[in-house]
Amino acid sequence: MIDIQGLTKIYDTGSIQVEALRSVDFHVEEGDFVAIIGASGSGKSTLMNILGCLDRPTRGRYVLDGVDVSSLSDPQLAVIRNQKIGFVFQSFNLLARVNAIKNVELPLIYGRVHKAERHQRAMEALDRVGLSDRIDHKPNELSGGQKQRVAIARALVTQPAIILADEPTGNLDSHSTEEIMQIFKRLNDEGVTMIIVTHEHEIADNAKRIVTFKDGAIVTDDRKTGISERYWPEEMAAGADSEVVVNSAAKGSAEALLVPEAPSGEVTQ
Amino acid sequence: MNFAESFKIALDAIWVNKMRSLLTMLGIIIGISSVIAVVALGSGSEAVIGQEFESFGVNRLFVTTSYSEEITSRDRLNHADVDAIERSFPEVIKAMTISVSGSGQIKGRQNQDPISVSLNGVNERYNSIEDIKLLHGRFLVEADIKAKRAVAVVDASLATELFGRTDVVGERLTITSRSSMSYIIAGVYEAPMTSFSNIPGFEMPKTVHVPYTLLERLYGIGDRVNGVEINLVMEADQKAVVEDIKALLERRHDNIGQEKYMVFSAEEQLETVNRVLGLLTTVIGAIAAISLIVGGIGVMNIMLVSVTERTREIGIRKALGAKRKDILMQFLVEAVIVALIGGVIGTVLGIAFSFGIAWVIKIPPSTSLGTILLAWLFSAGVGVFFGIYPANKAAKLDPIEALRYE
Repeated sequence: MIDIQGLTKIYDTGSIQVEALRSVDFHVEEGDFVAIIGASGSGKSTLMNILGCLDRPTRGRYVLDGVDVSSLSDPQLAVIRNQKIGFVFQSFNLLARVNAIKNVELPLIYGRVHKAERHQRAMEALDRVGLSDRIDHKPNELSGGQKQRVAIARALVTQPAIILADEPTGNLDSHSTEEIMQIFKRLNDEGVTMIIVTHEHEIADNAKRIVTFKDGAIVTDDRKTGISERYWPEEMAAGADSEVVVNSAAKGSAEALLVPEAPSGEVTQ
Repeated sequence: MNFAESFKIALDAIWVNKMRSLLTMLGIIIGISSVIAVVALGSGSEAVIGQEFESFGVNRLFVTTSYSEEITSRDRLNHADVDAIERSFPEVIKAMTISVSGSGQIKGRQNQDPISVSLNGVNERYNSIEDIKLLHGRFLVEADIKAKRAVAVVDASLATELFGRTDVVGERLTITSRSSMSYIIAGVYEAPMTSFSNIPGFEMPKTVHVPYTLLERLYGIGDRVNGVEINLVMEADQKAVVEDIKALLERRHDNIGQEKYMVFSAEEQLETVNRVLGLLTTVIGAIAAISLIVGGIGVMNIMLVSVTERTREIGIRKALGAKRKDILMQFLVEAVIVALIGGVIGTVLGIAFSFGIAWVIKIPPSTSLGTILLAWLFSAGVGVFFGIYPANKAAKLDPIEALRYE
């Protein structure tokens, strides 16, 4: 579904060049559920923007659902965003002025889907997230969890190749977080390919695979085996002190930090 | 995204900010309404003046000596000149008369202020030069002229003022002009309507038509002729006849090329009046157009504010697959709709204004469909012109930056 090779992103701010991604190789199979985790500034947001076709890599190849998108023009990228990608944002990013169903219909409007079909597909998408009874509510009449469910419905409605969720539970209480993660899991079970960016390990633990970013490169890429925080040292979760840990991990001594029964890398379920 | 969707989104955005949208439209409303009103009144008065000239006689010429001080007695027009003109152009002259004008006063009823009148000394043919609609009695006849009879044809409003009725044929009227003279009223004509007669406080003196021969004797001007009124046949080439008459008079007085004579033609006068009126309309219209530009800048200003306010919305739309041209279209359509609604409101107000003003000064306003469509087209043009920059700014926004915008 996603095939990335040698992906590099350099931000040129004039005097200094910041290398946000350093030759990243990354593959995602159809139906996978990947969590990308890392501290802020680790490059995970940059990767997310490129995965979402909102940004272009400086170097490298990105093939999404069989299409090499690394060299597409702006209007072509807009079409890819519209048809192959479903975004779920931390701050929901719903249009405040229009009701739930109109929000869900929005990508279909840009996809030039006919009105009647648009409505029906939006209804189905809202039904999948359990909000068929809230279609006429405007965002300010919905709870945080409900807003995010509308956003998920909006991401689903175009039947995209992947759903990209950027800190989808960052603005939610624990109850709503649980609710949203259950929806993600269920959608994944139904065959939707999911990528979640997060800095919370509890969230990442819902995924089948956890990819850790550090300084613009992938430092760990693990198939999850059902273990929890023990797998992740406290320092890593805290973010600020993670450097020590990851540096050692990068030097190939990651095993030392891991529990013996859960070797990294090649572990599969 | 298709046009209908952009249209709906734009209407929605305008409706959300009703007050702001209305204030934005204000410049356009003022601009368009003044243009519409000015044009309506301009073409209205043009039509009225045209009609007045029609009743005054569009084929009318007035021959006189020029106002220059170098006119000697040798250059002055005389009765023989008048006969010569009549003899020389029989095929184009429908009617002509020597014209002697003067002014006089009539004692008002019951010690009221005396009434000023203008005396128009003409012959019996004058009513085929000016369109005089007789209500009672008759116009001057040849015998009146020959016998220098003290008869007068008066304006109906003057009759009413003096006698309280219009049927005053046979009544006597004393007019003081140098000396007092008593006239018998031979006819009463309908008071002409002019664009001036309806302006409050502006009163034209009433005209009393009398035999010119009588005034010549009264003023003692002898053989001298001050002016000649001529009515040409419809087919006549006015400009050519004017030149021919001048040439004839110059030959007769042996002053060729000295420009001693002037021939005014109604056509020329109408053209001059229309030119002045047209210029006036253009100038006022230009001032109104400036307010349209100011209105357009207002639209641009608000659209820029709107783009900034909705940066995040633009980011969301782009993330969901909106192309540059979709965003451009959305904001451009919004600017055009604001301008167009302003234009429509302005048109309605402008027509209302022109009817209001026209009602006061009694000019029929004339607004053509063409003017209205042009005004709408122009306001839409203002919307496009001043909306393109903000819309393009919106379209160019980087989706990542826009999504991050708080």
